[in-house]
Amino acid sequence: MISAREQILARVRAALASLPQRAPLPDWDRDLVQSRQATPSTDLWELFSQRFSAVNGRPLTDAADVARLLSAAGWHFGYCDPALWPLFSDVLLEPFRVETEYERSHALKYEFGITWATGAIAETGSLILTDGMTSSRLAALAPWVHVAVVERSSIHATIPEALEAHPRDPNIIWVTGPSKTADVEGIMIEGVHGPGVQVALLAPGPRA
Amino acid sequence: MGAQSIDDFAAGLSVQRQASVYQSSKDTHERRTQVLFDRFSDPDRLRRMAGDIKQHVIEHLDTYLPQVEERLKANGAQVHWAEDGEAACNAVLGIMRARGATKLVKSKTMVSEEIGLEAFLRKNGMESLETDLGEFIIQLDHDQPSHIVRPIAHKTRREIALSFEREGLGDYNDDPGAITQRARSFMRDKYVEAGVGLTGANFVSVESGRIVVVTNEGNSRFSLAGTRCHIALVGIEKLVPRDRDLGLLLNLLARSATGQQLSVYTEFISGPRAPTQPDGPDEMHVIFVDNGRTNALASDCREILRCIRCGACLNVCPVYRQASGHAYRSVYPGPLGAVLSPLLAGDRFADLADLPKASSLCGACHEVCPVNIPIPDLLLRLRARGKAEGAPRAAIGSPPMGVWALLATQPTAWKAALFGGRLLNHVHTKLIPVPALQSWARQRTLPPWRGGEFRKWMKERPRK
Amino acid sequence: MLHLGAMTPSERRPAETAPGGAGHLQPIVMDGAPNAPTGSAGGRSVQLMATCLCDAFFDDAARATVEVLEHLGVEVGFPEAQTCCGQPAFNGGDWVASRRVVRHTAGVFAGGHPVIVPSGSCAAMLRHGALLEFEKEEDLPVVQALAGRTWELADYIVNGLGVASWPGRYDAVIAFHRNCHNRGTRSEEASLALLRSICGVRVVAFGEAEQCCGFGGTFSVGFPHISGAMGNLKLDHIREAKPDVLVSGDMSCLMHLGGLAETEGRPIRILHLAQVLRDALRNPPAH
Repeated sequence: MISAREQILARVRAALASLPQRAPLPDWDRDLVQSRQATPSTDLWELFSQRFSAVNGRPLTDAADVARLLSAAGWHFGYCDPALWPLFSDVLLEPFRVETEYERSHALKYEFGITWATGAIAETGSLILTDGMTSSRLAALAPWVHVAVVERSSIHATIPEALEAHPRDPNIIWVTGPSKTADVEGIMIEGVHGPGVQVALLAPGPRA
Repeated sequence: MGAQSIDDFAAGLSVQRQASVYQSSKDTHERRTQVLFDRFSDPDRLRRMAGDIKQHVIEHLDTYLPQVEERLKANGAQVHWAEDGEAACNAVLGIMRARGATKLVKSKTMVSEEIGLEAFLRKNGMESLETDLGEFIIQLDHDQPSHIVRPIAHKTRREIALSFEREGLGDYNDDPGAITQRARSFMRDKYVEAGVGLTGANFVSVESGRIVVVTNEGNSRFSLAGTRCHIALVGIEKLVPRDRDLGLLLNLLARSATGQQLSVYTEFISGPRAPTQPDGPDEMHVIFVDNGRTNALASDCREILRCIRCGACLNVCPVYRQASGHAYRSVYPGPLGAVLSPLLAGDRFADLADLPKASSLCGACHEVCPVNIPIPDLLLRLRARGKAEGAPRAAIGSPPMGVWALLATQPTAWKAALFGGRLLNHVHTKLIPVPALQSWARQRTLPPWRGGEFRKWMKERPRK
Repeated sequence: MLHLGAMTPSERRPAETAPGGAGHLQPIVMDGAPNAPTGSAGGRSVQLMATCLCDAFFDDAARATVEVLEHLGVEVGFPEAQTCCGQPAFNGGDWVASRRVVRHTAGVFAGGHPVIVPSGSCAAMLRHGALLEFEKEEDLPVVQALAGRTWELADYIVNGLGVASWPGRYDAVIAFHRNCHNRGTRSEEASLALLRSICGVRVVAFGEAEQCCGFGGTFSVGFPHISGAMGNLKLDHIREAKPDVLVSGDMSCLMHLGGLAETEGRPIRILHLAQVLRDALRNPPAH
């Protein structure tokens, strides 16, 4: 009994047997996908902020702004990666209740989650999360608000550059704004399964 | 002269539904055009390159498939092979049983529709929940998707609100925001309760053994964050040679599909979760599915396997816009389906031999395809096949060409027919026993027959 | 004013990499034919393929084509044995019947002269469709040779003969419809350049102009509802622009749209591009 694998590969080989030549793999240059628009700024955080805002992401530079955003809507219960807590301990005081030890059973109850982003892509306004650096996939996804903290030096200019820099990680995800759908009559609604509010906070540090 | 079923279906569509399909298709197409031309000075260069890369892949599947399998295994994924729908369904069932799972949460994957996964799982005592909002609504209504990217293009908010009410999801509320919120709340626990999360794959990189899953809603991500076992159903043609080629295809996919630069969630998965990650699957399974793809590969229409399922061809197609997806009687509608569905059908080609005829060969689909598939050429090849095999469905509405060919190869007879045709000007069209003519004349006034006039003029004019 | 440049060798669009051999035809890359041999002393010599539609219904469009070409100093031959380009059977899938007709046509137009066709769809049939259906045939080279010297009319005038503007006068608001077989070719640009250059002509845009009119040959017969819906949608858009006349390089589309309009009781005026060009020559331009 030949295995399904062998059957399929045999059928593939038979299907291709009649081709006199096979199509070569063409090479292409990054220029091919270069934008024809001049980039408004060479500062990657600025460009990222613009593109991120264009997809309704919220780029912020101050942890206090994060606190204000959460306060304004009364979102007080959340999770923060313990490695990031020093950034927020001064601003997320009562009535905020922040857990730094991840509780899976609370994941669906958190109103916000704060995690690291491994990097970002300026031209698309995307955050890059990985298993290695994001302390919990659910904490970054389930709450209404996700705050991703990103270092300036980890922002890539373009998609090809981001791909080239992909770390060895079993799970890498690019997040380009809050979750959305336009399934109902083509009308865009934000906050479907993932967050309805996607924040990118620039980590404090020396300017690149 | 009998009527083609796709034409009948179009004629039977409600005005409202037709308008809904038309407008949403047109809007999406216009957004696509705008984002591509805003960004690239020559989008056609990208399309041609992407097409060449995908053509290369499909012509080298014999080497790439074993390669990607090796890489996936090295990454910690388990690889399965399914020759047909039944085998694929059984593979999914086998994995669920081995995990002791009875619930599965599912993201959008057209392959799962192809194989009839949901019905199969239900029959075997398993629960399968659609998580994509559109597919979720389809599931509630026991309906079929009418578009590969926008499954409920044919539904109004009112219809959806009634369905939600009927299914106990709340009182009637047709506000799209409210509908979405209800689906969100309903779905949340299901992800963590389910034993298995099933996705498709938009691309698989042979170089790194990474599968790429793309959504706007985050539902596939949720399955991958909530459940402990991941199954990816992947058509064997979804491969991409190098990670860098993803850079080209990702630049094209969302723009072509929805007019976005990128979809919200672009996930690159190369194995079960990292040991330090508390959430995510311990096990990852990739099921490579043939289900007729090798038929397509062996045919003279193999270019269709380049398809990256963006739906741009549907959105621009004037026939799709008039008929809507359900007219095509298959999982894949529109220009894509008109080529792919009859090919995947294998021995049952004849059942779908009318699909390639449902086209005026305008070529708009070819123009918008991000991988430059020459769809009109493929439709023509399939028409030739339908004729050669004598498929009855293909013959409907096709006037026999024997007499015409005879006349057109006998100039004397041709000229006689030209001159003789003038008699027809005195006969009411209804009385001329040519079905094609009758069909034509029902809607359009025939111009007067003037056969021979030009030739006479050409012959009799004074020569210099 | 009228400008007759030397016959320019057209540049083929950069050839796309050919994946696999003979089994793989490229997507349509339509462009002008390569340099045609010069005709008899003192002028160019072409052969006219009038098209079966003009042969049967639209003799004035064929006449106008001849008059326009002769005005440009071109000698126009009309091989009497011509019949049809073979497209109806090709589109329907009866490639056996179609090939018979294409072989006859190739024989009729043998001889190496440029073949001028006042129809984008017939030109596309000879330049592309025939190559598809002759892929596995021994006489493919014959068909390829014919393809290489077949020109759609407007493309020939502008790119073959180098005509940049058209003389005379034609007072009308014109809506121009481009046949779908001209997608990716230079015919649309050429047609519009000619029309816009005519004194008195105003070309008006209309909605969804790039969408198909719904004729599609036997498609109109097999799928009457959809074909009619597509045609009526286009007529609605055209009427909104309030043109005096609907012009195209293809009588097939015009026959469909004109026929629909007439049955509806709201007839529209239709003209082939050649007829406009010819009529313009009959009027002196205003000063």
